[in-house]
Amino acid sequence: MKTIYLLVGALLVAGATIGAQVQTPGASPENGAGLGPMVAGTDLSGSWRPQQLVTESQTAAGDLADFGGIPLNDAARMYALSWPASRQTVKQHQCMGYVTPYFWYAPANYRIWEERDPFTQRLVSWRFYGQIAQGDRTVYMDGRPHPPAYAPHTFAGFSTGEYQGNTLTVTTTHLKRGWIKANGVPQSDATTVVEHFVRHGDNITVLAVIDDPVYLTEPLSKASMLVRMAKDPDAWLYPCDDSEQIFGRKSDVVPNHLFGQNPYAREYADRRKLPLLAALGGVETMYPELANAIRDTTAAENLAKARMMPSGPPAVSRAPDPTPKDGEIHTMRVSGEVYLLAGDGANIAVQVGPQGAFVVDTGSGKLADKVIAAIAKLSAKPIQFILNTTFRPDHTGGNAKLQMAGADPSVTGSFFSMQFQGAGLAATIISQLNTQSRMVEQKLPAPPSDTFAEDRRRKYYNGEAVEAFPMPNATTDGDSIVHFRRADVIVAGDIFTTTEYPHIDTKNGGSLQGEINALNFILDRTVYIHDEDGGTMIIPGHGRVTDEWEVAEYRDMLVIIRDRVQAMIKAGATLQQTLASRPTFDYDVRYGATSGPWTTNMFVEAVYTSLKNPPKTENAR
Amino acid sequence: MKRTLMLLFPTALLLASTLSAHHSFSATYDTGKTVSIEGKVVQFLLRNPHSFLHIEVKDKEGKVAVYNVEWAAAGQLNGTIASSIKAGDLVTISGNPGRDPADLRLRMVNIKRTDGQSWGFDPGQVVN
Repeated sequence: MKTIYLLVGALLVAGATIGAQVQTPGASPENGAGLGPMVAGTDLSGSWRPQQLVTESQTAAGDLADFGGIPLNDAARMYALSWPASRQTVKQHQCMGYVTPYFWYAPANYRIWEERDPFTQRLVSWRFYGQIAQGDRTVYMDGRPHPPAYAPHTFAGFSTGEYQGNTLTVTTTHLKRGWIKANGVPQSDATTVVEHFVRHGDNITVLAVIDDPVYLTEPLSKASMLVRMAKDPDAWLYPCDDSEQIFGRKSDVVPNHLFGQNPYAREYADRRKLPLLAALGGVETMYPELANAIRDTTAAENLAKARMMPSGPPAVSRAPDPTPKDGEIHTMRVSGEVYLLAGDGANIAVQVGPQGAFVVDTGSGKLADKVIAAIAKLSAKPIQFILNTTFRPDHTGGNAKLQMAGADPSVTGSFFSMQFQGAGLAATIISQLNTQSRMVEQKLPAPPSDTFAEDRRRKYYNGEAVEAFPMPNATTDGDSIVHFRRADVIVAGDIFTTTEYPHIDTKNGGSLQGEINALNFILDRTVYIHDEDGGTMIIPGHGRVTDEWEVAEYRDMLVIIRDRVQAMIKAGATLQQTLASRPTFDYDVRYGATSGPWTTNMFVEAVYTSLKNPPKTENAR
Repeated sequence: MKRTLMLLFPTALLLASTLSAHHSFSATYDTGKTVSIEGKVVQFLLRNPHSFLHIEVKDKEGKVAVYNVEWAAAGQLNGTIASSIKAGDLVTISGNPGRDPADLRLRMVNIKRTDGQSWGFDPGQVVN
């Protein structure tokens, strides 16, 4: 790593001293906070192409199982070894966008330009556009903060920049899960990338440092080179449209190699006559000391083989929990008039308009008064409807207070309620039938009174179609999702979270296949704007707001784990043997837990149990 | 099903290095092999960045399978080819087989219709 930092340092110094386009260095405090610098550093504007020699070893055209020089951890290696190129035929993968710094390795055109405030001419942002996948990045130079952790991620991420001398340094967060190398080496959604842009005449060196706490054991530095094009190439688009590439393939098929069964794991090493250990990557493959490790070829081969199977102590999630825990309710507009309220247990969704407020889930109830106050800021009208996506107390704990804070004018004074005192003087609570039953059984406060069983529950409210769909045998037998159709926001409840494995409660009717079916139902309703970004937005039961990409990733993970556990069951394995096989190994660094209410082992047990004895209705939808 | 292993086409290698911007052809297909299939067009998916032909192929026992043939971008094919190939056409296709046999996948090298019209990357052929 020292050598790489030295290289980075040397190039930064070079950029600061020999750049042909050096201008007066930029921002200083007197430039005015929030306005951005009056004078930028080196001008990066223009049309560019990547230097081809660099791109060929780094792009999608790279070799399978060529991970050398990447400080990936054991989980990332297993993730990459279970990845076949056929995964790219899964609908949601066909138009996957590019995260940075992979963004800079596409063999096509790039445009860089600046955007200045028309009144002050201060530099508001740099814009980076990449032709492949039509990546469109904005680097804010005006000092604005990065969004909160519960905000959506994109393939472009959220970038801010500053000049250090004539070097533009860009920090990017809020990235989606993407590629470090598109032969299966993942870059997680918890990654922060710092890029340094140094211009030398008609070249720009982009030095990127990837800090990925989930998949890397230490930061990875990558360099790319852009070459200025004298003439605008007049070719900037890269349309992408997904399709049923593999005819007749079902939506719960996600190609993957079982652990230890990747037929191409040795291909690169054998062809290049390298020790397998060197090809499998890891921090030691970045340093000259690797030579010592491979001197004993038998030992190196045995070590490499061991690395192609799960090993080591159980891992826990290394991704930060995006849920605020400061005792306050945080409100964020998701789309249209649908808002996220985060901070009191499970996520709360609120739709507002001229009729009142429609609330999906009510949190744990500990901050119910603050939730009511937050909703009152959004809507002068009362809460009319509350819908519970599940019976769990962290989703229904605020029912009683929110119900009493609301009113249902459709009941008050209606023909049907005249004889009932108090009718409509509180909000109406809706849920799938089994959620009501579970709440009554468990004596949870304020159970729903308005239920649906197999059919959707629908309303046209605040000028918007609102649909609730029951999801049979997903995390429980009472789950539902809610789709606000004009805002195009789906509230997924615990069927989808960004923080843990799905809490499949087999004692209350949950099953893995029902959960996979529910995720596919969501994916059948989503549409992205461009290359798996935007469009239909998803509010998960826990964690940050997403779009369909993260739902698809979650579905993929569950299908892959299902295939592994199913293979164990088919081979006659017991639960203990299945647990010992570590079927979640490559995902534990993102979703795993060894303590708390929902551990990895509890999840695997639920998978095993529901695959061995599936509920009869799990495929009811 | 007529599925004949053929000799390596130098053109296939050329193709592999020129159109690999979006995903890796060498990771997806065995670019060192070429096989041939004969069957009926089920569907022509004209898409960017890669179009697909679905071909219904019968084997010697009469068992039917649908092959998935990856072709060029809609931007390249939406001229003559798009209006020429239709569901029901009988075609012979040679291409690189997919690495995953379960996908029944080929990467198009050339296509010949029973009326003699052909497109592809062999010398003298055109893409569109």
